[in-house]
Amino acid sequence: MANSFLTSSSQQPFQFPPTYSFPPFFTPQPNAATRLSQLQKWSSLIQSWCRHHRIYRFSLVETIDSPLFHNTTLRKRLSLSDARNIIDWMAKPEEDGGGKRAEWIDGANKTMTWIWWRRPEEWAGIVADWVENTGQKNVVLTVYELTQGETTMSQEWHGMDTDAMLRSLNVLVKRGKAQVFGSEGQEGVKFF
Amino acid sequence: MFFKPLDLTTALRPSLLPDETLLFVQDAVGLYEGKYKIPNYQNGHAYLTSHRVCYVAVDEPRKHSVAIDLKEIDRVEYQAGFLKSSPKVTVYPKPLKNHLNKSRSTGASPSRAQHPGLQTTRSQSPLPQTSISQFKPTPPQPINATWICPICTFSNPVPSNFDPSTATASTSIPPCLACGIKPPLTTLLKAAITAAASRDGSSVSAALATLDTVRLPQSNGTKSATSAQLANSTPCPRCTFVNHPSLLECEICGAPLKSASPLGGPSQNEHRSESPAPLFEQGSIKNTEIKDSIKLSFRAGGEKTLYERLKGALVQRKWLLYDAPPVPQQPVQSTSSPSLSVAAPVNGITPAPPRSTAVGIAGLEQRGLEARKNAEFVIGNAFEDLEALMASAKQIVALAETLARESGIASEDRAAETSAVLTESAEALGMVTTKDMLGSGGGNLYLSELSRNLAEYLTDDRKGILQKEGGIMSLIDLWAIFNRSRNGVELVSPSDCQRAAELWEKLKLPVRLRRFKSGLLVVQRYDWSDEKTIRELQEWMEELRQNPPVEPVPWDWHLFGRAISAQEAAQRFKWSVGVAAEELEMAEDKGILCREEGIEGLRFWRNYITSNPESQSGGVNVSTLSII
Repeated sequence: MANSFLTSSSQQPFQFPPTYSFPPFFTPQPNAATRLSQLQKWSSLIQSWCRHHRIYRFSLVETIDSPLFHNTTLRKRLSLSDARNIIDWMAKPEEDGGGKRAEWIDGANKTMTWIWWRRPEEWAGIVADWVENTGQKNVVLTVYELTQGETTMSQEWHGMDTDAMLRSLNVLVKRGKAQVFGSEGQEGVKFF
Repeated sequence: MFFKPLDLTTALRPSLLPDETLLFVQDAVGLYEGKYKIPNYQNGHAYLTSHRVCYVAVDEPRKHSVAIDLKEIDRVEYQAGFLKSSPKVTVYPKPLKNHLNKSRSTGASPSRAQHPGLQTTRSQSPLPQTSISQFKPTPPQPINATWICPICTFSNPVPSNFDPSTATASTSIPPCLACGIKPPLTTLLKAAITAAASRDGSSVSAALATLDTVRLPQSNGTKSATSAQLANSTPCPRCTFVNHPSLLECEICGAPLKSASPLGGPSQNEHRSESPAPLFEQGSIKNTEIKDSIKLSFRAGGEKTLYERLKGALVQRKWLLYDAPPVPQQPVQSTSSPSLSVAAPVNGITPAPPRSTAVGIAGLEQRGLEARKNAEFVIGNAFEDLEALMASAKQIVALAETLARESGIASEDRAAETSAVLTESAEALGMVTTKDMLGSGGGNLYLSELSRNLAEYLTDDRKGILQKEGGIMSLIDLWAIFNRSRNGVELVSPSDCQRAAELWEKLKLPVRLRRFKSGLLVVQRYDWSDEKTIRELQEWMEELRQNPPVEPVPWDWHLFGRAISAQEAAQRFKWSVGVAAEELEMAEDKGILCREEGIEGLRFWRNYITSNPESQSGGVNVSTLSII
């Protein structure tokens, strides 16, 4: 899981945006307007990078050396605290700019983070649509089937982190559209 | 003596002639002509220089500023303050008879008679002028009407605008000049009526007598002129004492004898009517003649120092060292037509007469002739009297200066003497404003003068301080350079310097003090703005995108250009590094630049974080967020 981005199916290399090769991009800007723009660009870069590599969560300490935060051609890198500040900003609600695109898994320690390039609510909607379209209402599916099964190969969430999937399914549970049961590691889900 | 127009520097101080030095400055000074205040000239700075007394009003200084040449001053008098009346220094012009004597001594040559100083007095061609004054429909009011103050018995003049036929209780009455108490209206009325009654009989005969005395020297020469003057003695209008004709004031009672004096009368009468424009009435007194005397009224002290220094300057006669009042071009036809002599140049202030339009060899010859005539005139003028001879002997004047100082003419006590020596050495070192030079007006005047001084120093094109520094320099640098230019004497303290710089805005001077975010104080031209700096920075950035960097860079320089450091900016714009850093941060603050911190230090880039490098206009692409 830690190095999940290495094992993921990256058939072609990630295309970094032009700002990635702009040296000041790696220095926190003191000007408020510039800083906001910088944070937005970092947020969108992290999201698209994670989406490309099908990453749902990562450890900051390990990822800080990855090409995402370390531009080897420029020999520029984001410091750990700067990266943490960016994730912090991403974790903020929509009105503060971040749009809850990230979430610290270990709370105050701030070492592990979710990157919600799709938020749980958005995943929930997509899964529900898929269930509807494939006529699997009232059918019991295991979470493993959902994420790793052959039937979902073509779906965007294929290979999704189990915890992330459970978070998304919980949204549906709250809406009364699904029911999750079973013990840990062997969860099943039934859609209504 | 004339009120001359005054050129002001950018800092609204009088611009000094070469060799001219500033001796004293005093604020809150008012100007009087004779006994009357001159409107619009009641609150200003008096500048005493080695050549002139200048007056610059606080409001509208460009409009209301005049100067009087010291060389035209006969004597000065000091008048202490009394009750409501402020202390004054009275300046008397050289009497007109001096000019007459001078012209006589030059002999009979008609070209000599066109001495420039004489032309200015307009008394040179008295014959036509006298006839003009005779045909004038309304003769001016008599000046010799006086009223006696019932309190202190001082005899005051009745104001010229006082008309006994229209005066009522509500008419404003000037207070007594000595004690400042207003007289009852009846006193004034009586005085005016008596004067009017006595004038009726005398005016015609006086004018006729004037005509006689003036015509005689023209036709018969010097000897008969003096005899005619002796015969034509003047009775005093107040006490009837028969005075010598050359006296301007009654020997017994001191009443002015102007109406009967041979030259004062006609020139005075003629003056107002023939003046090309009614300047005085409009509140502009430039180029008007001072007939009686002018007074400087000191509302905030400083009169004693000015008086002393003025006396000193009159003794030293520094203007003799100054060869510059360019020898006026001699109008060619002036000898034949007297009307031209009236419009003749006043010491080169009015434009030179148009050059004659002859062409070819004739023109060259004519010009050569003119030059020769001019040279002849200069030589003749130089040997005219001792004063002019002295102009060619700087040493003599220098000697006179030293003597004056040693004998203590300029200063009564020791302290003043030492300060005079100090001032002189200060002048020699090219300093302008010193604390010693300013009157008791105190700190504020010192600061405002220092402020003007600094502004002048900065904008002086000869030194080009600001240009050298790229139009902006830190206040500390200015302070250092300015003090260095003072050669270690009369240094300005840092706090004085800052306070003076803070006054620039108030005094509307062409430089301004600016405080950067970090608190750094810099000095800039008034019209310099952040926008201008930003535009220059942007141009530079654009240039960097066009020209490939010296070393290969890992980023796309077509897109991003190159980073600049404060040092580079300082070098390019000739700023100091501190200023450059501040300017770059200012541009960053405005969102034009963004920073990169690296091992090379802090460097700045064009802000491609907010703006899109592809679009030149710098459109913000926040929309990239919605990539999913």
